[in-house]
Amino acid sequence: MIMLRSFLNALRGLPRPAVVTIGVFLALGLFGPYVTPHDPNAQDLLMAHTGISAEHWLGTDHLGRDTLSRLVASARTSLVGMSLVLVIALSVGVTIGTIAGFKRGWVEEVLMRIVDVGLAMPSLIVALAVIGIFGTGYWNMILALALAWWPGSARISRAVAVGVMNRPYIESLRVLGASPARIYFNHLLPTTIGAVLVYATAEAAAVALSIATLSFLGLGIQPPTPEWGQMLVDALPYLEEMPMQVVLPGLVLTAVVVGFNLLGESIALNRVPVPLPRRVLKQRRSIATTWRKATT
Amino acid sequence: MGTLIAIRLRNAAALLVLATLLCFTLVVSAPGNVAVLIAELRTPKATFEQVRAVETELGLNDPLVVRYGNWLGGALQGDLGVSYKTGDHIGPTLGSRLPVTFTLVAGGACFAMLLSFALGFVGALWPGRFGDAFTRITALLGASMPSFFVGALLIYFFAVKLRLFPTFGSAGFSSWILPWITIGLLPAAVLSRVVRVGLEEAMAMPFALTAAAKGLSRRASLFRHALPNIAPTYINALGAQSGLMVVGAVVVEPLFALKGVSDFFLQGVLFRDFMVVQACLLIFLTFFIIVNLIADIGIMFTDPKLRRQGGAGT
Repeated sequence: MIMLRSFLNALRGLPRPAVVTIGVFLALGLFGPYVTPHDPNAQDLLMAHTGISAEHWLGTDHLGRDTLSRLVASARTSLVGMSLVLVIALSVGVTIGTIAGFKRGWVEEVLMRIVDVGLAMPSLIVALAVIGIFGTGYWNMILALALAWWPGSARISRAVAVGVMNRPYIESLRVLGASPARIYFNHLLPTTIGAVLVYATAEAAAVALSIATLSFLGLGIQPPTPEWGQMLVDALPYLEEMPMQVVLPGLVLTAVVVGFNLLGESIALNRVPVPLPRRVLKQRRSIATTWRKATT
Repeated sequence: MGTLIAIRLRNAAALLVLATLLCFTLVVSAPGNVAVLIAELRTPKATFEQVRAVETELGLNDPLVVRYGNWLGGALQGDLGVSYKTGDHIGPTLGSRLPVTFTLVAGGACFAMLLSFALGFVGALWPGRFGDAFTRITALLGASMPSFFVGALLIYFFAVKLRLFPTFGSAGFSSWILPWITIGLLPAAVLSRVVRVGLEEAMAMPFALTAAAKGLSRRASLFRHALPNIAPTYINALGAQSGLMVVGAVVVEPLFALKGVSDFFLQGVLFRDFMVVQACLLIFLTFFIIVNLIADIGIMFTDPKLRRQGGAGT
């Protein structure tokens, strides 16, 4: 219950465009395969590279597969991959982060130095290197990305855990004689998970982009599973004749990432900084004017 | 300040050692027997004795510490081992490919700086106007569009439709423009926000009011007083983004058929050529550490607080 409440609290007051985009993405990811007009993998070489028509609303690709169906079906590939990566990365990260925040002392020092090394390296390079050593494949991609993403969530959850441990109610619990296990599992862990889930939504954009990039490079989702990055690379040799088949998957992917980035911006955890709200600026100006009054 | 720089240097050296350990561990932990791979490469259907011979030749039976020492010693002299796929030495290949990646990343960084200052200043000079909204949308799109999509769009409009630039290859200046834009757009988007937000925050400080009170125009105080204030933040972000541009190069180099280090890395990943992956990873990690070190030192020179703090310490 604490988990749900802190998650909902954090999600309140989000920008409308982000909510709409992500809502559509989630809906397509969940129900997409049931609403596609055609089988996304059905080939029809006689119908290859047709433009917009009544039967194929967005045309077909070089193998005669319906583009609209593939675009819709890709949402599930992306959503499932993204969720798996985030669930694994967050499980590891939250465990490490809460242990560091709970134990403090040298345990925290050692764990956080490991996290620092992990954070110092760009995620995609780590994922690529891991795939290079252990080979390509769906699960290797998921695990490689999770391995690249856990340090971020570990750092956040440590910060949250330290904050929670400093609250008076934890001290009261200790005075009442609660065991460390009870404090950890009943109070620290649920609160931390709730807060870190918000961070996960901000990271979702980067994970979705990485999955698409790996698929574009031929290291992620393997054909014939529909995926936006892979659809784009498939259509790239026919850029001159059928530019639309390249642009469409790119646009859809961009829309999803924009949605998640807007969400991330609004919860102030994104890497792209936003201008100060007018209210804060006004406040600062008024502070400056009081100084002026005081000096005159 | 000397002590601060010394601390940074020490940290960078420690990180470098960690990076070499990481590269080494990654290859040691690889599944399968490397000796079998190499023996098969030399003579198809290699016998057990031949595999054993390769094992002793590569020193695979030595203790891990000895192997690490041998590998590190070789790496320091530019000998990064032999590719399992082609049998070539990796050192010279890397040497010939480094200039391409360097040109790509350096040009991309210059483009990113130019564009970020242009966008950031448009937003800061006329806040809340059309230009501000436009730069904000550009930054959001730039940060959200996957680089392979940006590259494909640029190729389509400028190379296929308008025929202004060649689609790929490295023939002269004009062939570099599209790769530079592709790789520089994401850092430009992030940095433009750093400029815009930093300038706005600086202009809300009391010193901006003082500048206005003594009759300085908004534009003049923006350039003369607000700009030096954002330098430390900007250099920090630029360092981080330059490191990330190597990731961008992994996509941009194959897209524009540039034969750089990132392309080599990708080939190594595709064919599970451990030695190539290891060597490229080592180069990349060294690059990140050096870029971050330079950025850290740059911040010290531009941030008066750090400058004085270090000066008092020595």
